[in-house]
Amino acid sequence: MDDSPQLFQFVQSVLIGVIFSFLLAKLISVVVSFREENLSIVRGDSVEKELKPSSSESMPIIDDSENSGVSVVEPLVIERANLDTVIDGGGGGDGDDDADSDDDWEGVESTELDEEFSAATAFVAAVASDRLSQKVSNDVQLQLYGLYKIATEGPCSVPQPSALKMTARAKWQAWQKLGAMPPEEAMVKYIAIVTALYPTWATGSTSKIKGGESSDATSGYNKGPMGPVFSTFVYEEESGNELKMDAIHAFAREGDWENLLKCIESGVPVNSKDSEGRTALHWAVDRGHLNITELLASKNADVNAKDNEGQSPLHYAAVCEREAIAEFLVKQNAEINLKDNDGNAPFDLCDMKWPLLQHPVA
Amino acid sequence: MVDNNSTSNSPAESQTHNPDGNLPSESGVSIDSLARKVQESLSLAKRHKFWETQPVGQFKDLGDTSLPEGPIEPPTPLTEVKQEPYNLPSLYEWITCDMDSEETCNEVYALLTNNYVEDDENMFRFNYSMGFLRWALRPPGFFKNWHIGVRVKSSKKLVAFITGVPARIRVRDTVVYMAEINFLCVHKKLRSKRLAPVMIKEVTRRVHLENMWQAAYTAGVVLPTPISTCQYWHRSLNPKKLIDVGFSRLGARMTMSRTIKLYKLPDSTATPGFRKMESHDVPAATRLLRNYLSQFLVAPDFDENDVEHWLLPRENVVDSYLVESPETHEITDFCSFYTLPSSILGNQNYTTLKAAYSYYNVSTKTPLLQLMNDALIVAKQNDYDVFNALDVMQNESFLKELKFGPGDGKLHYYLYNYRVNHVLRPSELGLVLL
Repeated sequence: MDDSPQLFQFVQSVLIGVIFSFLLAKLISVVVSFREENLSIVRGDSVEKELKPSSSESMPIIDDSENSGVSVVEPLVIERANLDTVIDGGGGGDGDDDADSDDDWEGVESTELDEEFSAATAFVAAVASDRLSQKVSNDVQLQLYGLYKIATEGPCSVPQPSALKMTARAKWQAWQKLGAMPPEEAMVKYIAIVTALYPTWATGSTSKIKGGESSDATSGYNKGPMGPVFSTFVYEEESGNELKMDAIHAFAREGDWENLLKCIESGVPVNSKDSEGRTALHWAVDRGHLNITELLASKNADVNAKDNEGQSPLHYAAVCEREAIAEFLVKQNAEINLKDNDGNAPFDLCDMKWPLLQHPVA
Repeated sequence: MVDNNSTSNSPAESQTHNPDGNLPSESGVSIDSLARKVQESLSLAKRHKFWETQPVGQFKDLGDTSLPEGPIEPPTPLTEVKQEPYNLPSLYEWITCDMDSEETCNEVYALLTNNYVEDDENMFRFNYSMGFLRWALRPPGFFKNWHIGVRVKSSKKLVAFITGVPARIRVRDTVVYMAEINFLCVHKKLRSKRLAPVMIKEVTRRVHLENMWQAAYTAGVVLPTPISTCQYWHRSLNPKKLIDVGFSRLGARMTMSRTIKLYKLPDSTATPGFRKMESHDVPAATRLLRNYLSQFLVAPDFDENDVEHWLLPRENVVDSYLVESPETHEITDFCSFYTLPSSILGNQNYTTLKAAYSYYNVSTKTPLLQLMNDALIVAKQNDYDVFNALDVMQNESFLKELKFGPGDGKLHYYLYNYRVNHVLRPSELGLVLL
């Protein structure tokens, strides 16, 4: 029969449709039962990565006309499944110091979808004034509006504006006709429309969301939207500081054991001074590097070397409160009575008044 | 939600929406880096759909002196103010936070301590003490229902907070009843839920219900439109700790030893008669402050009750010192600072940074420089790590000389529903918000 291939195709497509619907229903019921049983499935990073909606790939394209009914619904369901399972997918970092139990946050905290939706709305806000308004029909704009209101405020519960206010009324209708659509669904659809209009809008954002998400998340909040500001010192490179120093001082300052050793072994005098009269030992003590101090002492650095102000490494240890280093220097026979140009011994400069700097006689 | 006319002076108005159905960027809580990047790439004028609907000075009006100074919108009849709270997403509910209750105070403290303002690098987070919060939120005439919380219906967990307190603030010759809005905080896990705009709207509504139509607030971001932009300055008291925790940096050519010497302060104060303020000083301190603050274009209008509340010393909250002339016993000078510690995040050796913030200072006989140096000395004696000051009032005259260094924090001051015709220099501003 001529018809039979067609009939066969028809039956086949019906069967596929039935199977698909069944699977879809099953998936929905699974999702719903997850919700009801309050199962939090996922915490690990691995699953988060697997399930993370990648906006540029899996988002439904709404004007993909062929079988739009399926292509819109299917990703949506998957999206919702993601939503429920990735609920704790923040990846750590933020809020860990808060000793909440995770159950408290089930279904409450921000999700990946929230973040993507935020990004989409921000994108729309950004292009609204120029590109969007030209390219996008009024209908689509109203659709975006309705979805936005559902996602952020829920079902429309405000009275209808008067018929004279055309725009207000059209917007009210766009919102109202979506009825009790769940906010998550509205977000997904909103994102879908934006993605359809601007397939590349999220380019580059997905990778950023994955890497270092938590620090991004918090830093965005530091300066807004209102309230006080946490300020720290602006780092100013000292100008007019004519200090001249050699590599050996810099290595000692940075605690760079290897290069310092090389430097000394290559014949640089261990007691060479910078333009302020400081030796490598002064710098090591100043920055609190005990291991470098020990290294320099083992290379016969002068523990009583004086800088241009007459201060020894022990003065530095006393001022900078480096107790372990001071102890070590004293053991290396650093002179505790050495006076600087102002007549101060290390003990005089030590706020902590360590006994180890006091002369036994006193 | 942000795109409707959120002053809602009348319910009908609150239903007008902007045509694009988009989210204005000032929701600020937007958590995604892309969102920020996009927003930052835009000109200021495009970024503030929310604030463009608000009765605040607009960028486009900057420098237009034909507009009258004063309220932008007249008060609405109280009967037309929306009576019910704004809608929250269905999982949440509004609560009023009773700061008298130990339990509530603890909850608010925990929310802020874990979620409030951090520095740019996320190394520090403000850690307002409970004593501080009670002080800041319960001045004379405060309204309990301006202390607004949002909690999760199911778990009852507090997840967001915003407050207002009443204040009389003088703008030029007019004393205006205002709300000072502060402590807006949304839990880190809810940062992209866009709660901040609805919280701002709700506090505005509750302020309106008390027949107040103006507000003062600060922000680290530029919104339409600052009445003044100030800068923080910092004076190291414990430079070694500040360097160790990353609050300040040690230049490659600078030694720790010399840095410590540079910031060393005398052991005791220099001014004869310099002592802590006591309750019998309130009348004299009030006279001194009122007289001094009258020279600034925008400043609080303090009476004795206010001074007693805001400036009488409270341990680890606010400290005030004054100079009582040893001969005449007249009170001639006054200085004060409040205590705002911060949590140090992720440092093995230190957990808390103890900072003093310059508050109100008045000098008539003692040079301001000497007075503030004595303030630094008492702060150092009490183990503060750093002394911070804005360049408001006459502070600029002592900052550099007393070895304050500039901070990376800019603080913008705003008035809601009150137009000021020119942007104030910090030195014209006599107001410190906590």
